[in-house]
Amino acid sequence: MIQRLAILDRKLLRDLSRMKMQAAAVAAVLACGISLFVMATGMYGSLARARDDYYDSGRMADMAAGVVRAPQEIARDLAAVPGVRTLEARVSGVGLLDLAGRNEPVSARLVSLPPDRAPRVNDIVLREGKLPDPAHSGEVLVNEAFAEANHLVVGTTMGALIYGKRRDVVIVGIASSPEFVFAVAPGALLPEPERFGVVWMGREALGRAFDLDGAFNDVVLRLEPGANARAVGNEIDRLLVRYGGRGAYGRDRMLSAQFLSDELNSLKTMAAILPPFFLLVAAFLLNVSLSRLVATERANIGLLKSFGYGDSSIAWHYAKFALVFALIGALLGMAFGLWVGNYVAAIYAHIYRIPGLHFAAGPGVYLAALFVAFVASVVGAANAVLRATRLPPAAALSPPAPTSYGRLGRATENAAARLDGKSRMVARRIVRFPRRSLTTVAGVAMSMALLVTAQHFPLSMDWIIRVTFGMSQRMDVMVTFPEAVDDAILKDLGRLPGVLQVEPLRSSDMFLEAGSHRQRNSVIGVPPDAMLNRVLDENLHPVVPRPDGLTLSENLARKLGVHAGDMVRMQATDGHRASAVLPVVAIVKPFLSAPAYIELDALNRLLREPARVTAAYLLIDQRQREAFSQRAKELPRIVSVSFLDNASASMRKLLSEGSGFFANLFVVFSSLMAAGVAFSAARVTLSEQERDLATLRVLGFTRREASYVLLAELGALLLLALPIGVVMGMTLSRWLMSQFETDLFTFPYVTNAAIYGKSALFVIAAVTVATLVVRRAVDRLDLVGVLKSRD
Amino acid sequence: MAGMQSATAHSTPVFRLEGLQKRYGEGEAAVLALRGVDLAVTEGELVVLLGPSGSGKSTLLNILGGLDRPTAGHAWFRDLDLAIASEAQITQYRRHNVGFVFQFYNLIASLTAQENVELVTEVTDDPMPARDALALVGLSERTTHFPAQLSGGEQQRVAIARAIAKRPTVLLCDEPTGALDVATGVRVLEAIVTANEELHTTTLLITHNADIAQMGDRVVRFFDGSIRSVEVNTQRVRPSELRW
Repeated sequence: MIQRLAILDRKLLRDLSRMKMQAAAVAAVLACGISLFVMATGMYGSLARARDDYYDSGRMADMAAGVVRAPQEIARDLAAVPGVRTLEARVSGVGLLDLAGRNEPVSARLVSLPPDRAPRVNDIVLREGKLPDPAHSGEVLVNEAFAEANHLVVGTTMGALIYGKRRDVVIVGIASSPEFVFAVAPGALLPEPERFGVVWMGREALGRAFDLDGAFNDVVLRLEPGANARAVGNEIDRLLVRYGGRGAYGRDRMLSAQFLSDELNSLKTMAAILPPFFLLVAAFLLNVSLSRLVATERANIGLLKSFGYGDSSIAWHYAKFALVFALIGALLGMAFGLWVGNYVAAIYAHIYRIPGLHFAAGPGVYLAALFVAFVASVVGAANAVLRATRLPPAAALSPPAPTSYGRLGRATENAAARLDGKSRMVARRIVRFPRRSLTTVAGVAMSMALLVTAQHFPLSMDWIIRVTFGMSQRMDVMVTFPEAVDDAILKDLGRLPGVLQVEPLRSSDMFLEAGSHRQRNSVIGVPPDAMLNRVLDENLHPVVPRPDGLTLSENLARKLGVHAGDMVRMQATDGHRASAVLPVVAIVKPFLSAPAYIELDALNRLLREPARVTAAYLLIDQRQREAFSQRAKELPRIVSVSFLDNASASMRKLLSEGSGFFANLFVVFSSLMAAGVAFSAARVTLSEQERDLATLRVLGFTRREASYVLLAELGALLLLALPIGVVMGMTLSRWLMSQFETDLFTFPYVTNAAIYGKSALFVIAAVTVATLVVRRAVDRLDLVGVLKSRD
Repeated sequence: MAGMQSATAHSTPVFRLEGLQKRYGEGEAAVLALRGVDLAVTEGELVVLLGPSGSGKSTLLNILGGLDRPTAGHAWFRDLDLAIASEAQITQYRRHNVGFVFQFYNLIASLTAQENVELVTEVTDDPMPARDALALVGLSERTTHFPAQLSGGEQQRVAIARAIAKRPTVLLCDEPTGALDVATGVRVLEAIVTANEELHTTTLLITHNADIAQMGDRVVRFFDGSIRSVEVNTQRVRPSELRW
């Protein structure tokens, strides 16, 4: 038996060396799927682990609450709330920084550090330097990303503007914290490390700066395992209410944590959705290759059976082809997945400052990849292998009956009558082998669809940026205030150099309730004549927020389970905790975040705080930008000044960093898929038609004319596949976009002809290259050998 | 017998072979398939090539058909030396001058009988209508059948119709009856003779079967890569009178 198997294995090796190219086609497509799987699964694990470790070691807060001003003693009561494990009552606020050589204002989140110990919650990791000395009030730490982006080193002095008062501080250390893995300025959605940083200062110094001596305005806490978060939150709110509590919230409202969890979800989605496309096509290619192998080996199979080889050894022999293909694909895929994983991890490490974030897929991921590859190969091989075992030896030894062709339908025949002989051959073959033709069409269409989809994401992001920063937000500058301030400030802003127009805005955190649904969400008050910050509907027409009802984002409406006309109860999380019941008057679909809108004065009335604003949008004369920046820093109530062009540029950069890489990766993968499918189909056509092609050559047809039969079949299938791919691409794009949608991001489906043109070009190029590689065999046809053999 | 002509009736040579050699392989493994063959075939002649397997007759036919190249010597088709002609010339030569019939019919399975013939008539100058070619081999009733719907003999006759439809100068038949029973074989040979007589197609026919040799104008016997003898039949025997 060993002897026998060894001989068959020798045959296997020789056959495999003949089938190098088919093996390469199958393995390449399989490798694409496996590498995506390894990358996405491995990256998910790495990021989740790094995050959890970091949250653990850095004692990341489970809950936070803002308060206007609470006496320090209350902290003890808060810490005693059942379910609270540890708690830190601190001072936190936003201020402006004055960096040498940078005229435009830079803002910072300022956070206090306890004088004598490490923070119990939201600890910091010192990357460089030392902790601030409580005895020296001017010593601060800055976060790593901010230091890097602004070339700040230990020893750098900068100005800090808090409540309009300027003081010089010196950087004594560079740190990171689980709280600010992703540091985002107030009012912004994405990090801009050049223009927003985190500054940690001694408790006393910062308390004085914010006028919070012996008091705190920010609570962060960790919960006991199994604690009832809602109950804890309610108790905290109850204790803080009289000091101007702003309501406790969990990690789902902490932007940094929310970003991380969205990213993890995206990776999970990617790992689940994308590899199957490639695995499916790989299985199909394997099926095509093996079916053809079994067909050409018919006589050998009969012979082996007549020698007494059992079905199982024959099945095992052919199954081994599939397993070898799978192994090659899996190994290539794992190696490439590891490389891509490392590349992506480097991007992540740059965006998220998580210590120890590197790509590390455990043996489980690789074992799973192997398993997945083998399953795909077994699925692909099963029917060919079964066919080999089912061949009765006598039938296998006699030549196969000629393929029987019939007439096509009458209409098709009439059309075929107008074709020349060679085209008729092509047409009849396509119809005669519908399953194979269809799978080739499906494979090519799928690669077209993936290409289309891959290009839709960058287009969608580009559209988000163009709409957000071009049509919706038309201001030059956004200025935010530390809290709701009197709208007299608008006049002060109007007097700044270069300011042409000022538009107010009020944003307030509220609880929104409908039925059993309850969401904490920002409600934005917009003036009815807003020109600089407009709410747009799906057709990009401005929607004027009404005073008598809420305009909800679709995302929020879904979470509240409401439609236009339904009633929503809203309650402020701070101040007077005013509440009201309002109808939903319109639903809009913004791309970024999921706010609710209402007319500005109506919001102020509702909150019982008339004439207040939390931010302002300005139109300025760009020629006076420098003078404006200089003076804006001096206004005491301004905590951040953000220029729209900067925000749009950083958003573009951040999005292109990740999505650009993936889009390119997909272009390569999808082209490989198209090439693999075309190569496989062309190989089979060649193998089955070798005799016909040789006959054509003998009849005096030139190589080019004979090649036509091969090329026209692929060409026809390609032509059929492209429009199907377009439709599949549209559907897949829409579906994937909905799958990748998060609370912070909605991907609008926008499309243009260039996407399809470019995708078609890639598919056509890939199919052409693959077909031409196979076509060369027509030149090398052994006319005598082919025609004189039986088959 | 009317229509039965002898070799001497036409003296223009269609093929002229001089010192034709064909070697396969190199060094010690080299096999000499043709060891210097000299032969002239005149227009309209029906030459039967006889000989055991490996005697070189198929190699010769392949060279004459432009499917293979000699290692040395010349093989003239009129003014074209097939030994040195370009690939394009050879293709054009096959296209316009040669009709092939093989032991295995090599029909295109996806085309009907008539379409198999039309495949050739579409690309040649002055072909005969495909239906006429099929009528000539007695298949007028089977024109719309696909190869899988035809018997072996019928398939072979379609192959002959396809070969003669272009009105080729030469018809090369390699064991055309090798896979057929006697009665069917006779019908196939009748078709070849008809083409030879009615179209004056110079015909070379390979067979193992010495009885079939009686239907040719000349019989060329091969042995070990050389011509052993050339016999002239004074009387060609009709295929229907052959017995084997």
